[in-house]
Amino acid sequence: MPEEMRDAFGHTLVELGHEFPNILVLDADLHTSSKALYFKKAFPDRFIQCGIAEQNMFGIAAGLAMQGFIPFPSTFAVFAAKRAIDQVSISISYPKLNVKIPGSYVGIPTSRAGASHNAIEDVAIMRATPHMRVADPGDNRELRSVMRAAVLTPGPIYFRITRYTLPDLMDEGYEFAWGRGVRLAEGSDVTLIGTGMMTSFCLQAAELLAKDGIHADVLHCGSIKPIDADLIAASARKTRAVVTAENASVVGGLGSAIAEVLGERAPAVLRRIGVQDEFIHSGGITELLAHHHMTPADIAAAAKGAIAMREALR
Amino acid sequence: MRVKPEDLVLVEEQAYQIRRLSLEMITCGRWGHVGGAFSLAEILSCLYFHELKLDPQNPQWERRDRCVLSKAHASPALYAALALRGFFPVEELYTYCELGGRLEGHTDMTRTPGVESSGGPLGQGLSIAVGMALGFRLREQPGNRVYCLLGDGECDEGQVWEAAMSAGHYHLDNLIAIVDYNKVMAKGFIWDLMSLEPLAAKWRAFGWEVLEVDGHDVEALLQVLHEARHVRVHGQPIAIIAHTVKGKGLEEAEFNYQWHTQAPDPDTADAMLRELARNYGRPEEGYSKINDPDAKEKFYGGE
Repeated sequence: MPEEMRDAFGHTLVELGHEFPNILVLDADLHTSSKALYFKKAFPDRFIQCGIAEQNMFGIAAGLAMQGFIPFPSTFAVFAAKRAIDQVSISISYPKLNVKIPGSYVGIPTSRAGASHNAIEDVAIMRATPHMRVADPGDNRELRSVMRAAVLTPGPIYFRITRYTLPDLMDEGYEFAWGRGVRLAEGSDVTLIGTGMMTSFCLQAAELLAKDGIHADVLHCGSIKPIDADLIAASARKTRAVVTAENASVVGGLGSAIAEVLGERAPAVLRRIGVQDEFIHSGGITELLAHHHMTPADIAAAAKGAIAMREALR
Repeated sequence: MRVKPEDLVLVEEQAYQIRRLSLEMITCGRWGHVGGAFSLAEILSCLYFHELKLDPQNPQWERRDRCVLSKAHASPALYAALALRGFFPVEELYTYCELGGRLEGHTDMTRTPGVESSGGPLGQGLSIAVGMALGFRLREQPGNRVYCLLGDGECDEGQVWEAAMSAGHYHLDNLIAIVDYNKVMAKGFIWDLMSLEPLAAKWRAFGWEVLEVDGHDVEALLQVLHEARHVRVHGQPIAIIAHTVKGKGLEEAEFNYQWHTQAPDPDTADAMLRELARNYGRPEEGYSKINDPDAKEKFYGGE
């Protein structure tokens, strides 16, 4: 059983901290939840507690980046993307400062905390921010690779951490690269494109579809911005029916990003799985996934719907 | 500290030039904030021509002091100070707000030599300054200071007090905030729009040492800046409340919120610059582009 993704985040921070002495971690009173705690224990002098004041924390991160440090201002995704977006945008992203923003507790698995804490708009908001790169890793291996790439890539970066245990998705030796997606299964009847925790659901959906003789091309886009438009367009030209799946709002998120690629480069029928322009209320993870029609069965049903529409349009 | 008479003369002359050039830029660029640039003239002049450790030939010099213009709408005054100090040619000031130029309406640190932060949304600068001050501590540069220039209306922003609280918590005695207390906001007087008093008590309550000064008295300003750099009081950050006059130097603009954001037409600018020269006992000089047909066409014929 892999460790929970937030533990992988905390441990990777420590690994990178040993390797890069100019990494600092900033916190807004959530380090035991986010697991930035591990970094605090390993490097107490490089951990800066900012209190419950996210706007100030992101400004401090900007000032530290100007002094040559690589700050990771760590908080829940809702606060990074909404409480402090003006600071993220103008203090950090506009001057292309070297700040790495981990957004913890994203989407459905935030579960019982309810609408205020379940980040769904963060992808859209960060994606709309010029200079910002956005990643939603699909498993712990990819998260580690995303964090390494974040440190090695100059400029502002936002990446998501799911409070959940995700099954291993990537092969040993996998390396994340900005703007590069990966094909996890080959098929020519329909394209399933996932990001973050939803990619493993796409693979399960592909198995369900295979039982009905439908062969899905399954792609994973850990890098949401930039996005692998070539890979997406090539698959869409082959299948002409695409389903996207994300643990976020479909408004402005991965579904929108794929719609932009399809509209401009490879018109195809599209169905978007994710949160449909509504808040996520308190509930258990399994029941919330069912409530928001985000299960593997929902993805498979959307795929069949997309195929039917494609055929009707022929 | 005794300020040398020749230093006083230099700093006063540069304050006058900052006002003059700010108005030239705002006229030429057809946009900008006169009132808040004028109230800041002596503060900038004292910093850039006396107090700050900097090297115009090497704007990224690691051991320089940092100065964050949080009230980034006063950019013309900062740009004028930087040009006068030699960071870029004075003539370049006339590209203010020009697409493709280096002088953005609100500050952009990636484009303008000597500008230390990007700003515009009020309230963001002091947090950046706190980060810089923590950075100096981590980098073990005790000889450096971080200055942050705040507007008075800007102190309505909650982020200012988040930053103030964190600076107090971390005992950042290398951080100096200067409030340009010109009493006027964009749309009226402070006391009519949002009460700020007791301002000194607010800073003290957040763990700061407070010094108050007449922000147009150059000698007093230099004394206070010297004290702020060298006199460490219990490891506290220092807030200098500089009492100023919005639009200082022009009768029409003083304490007049209508000159918060407004670009004069070339003829008005010409008259204003002549008045400014008279008020500061300088040889009368008008708007330098008054006979430039391109500049006039740009003003009256442009967008």
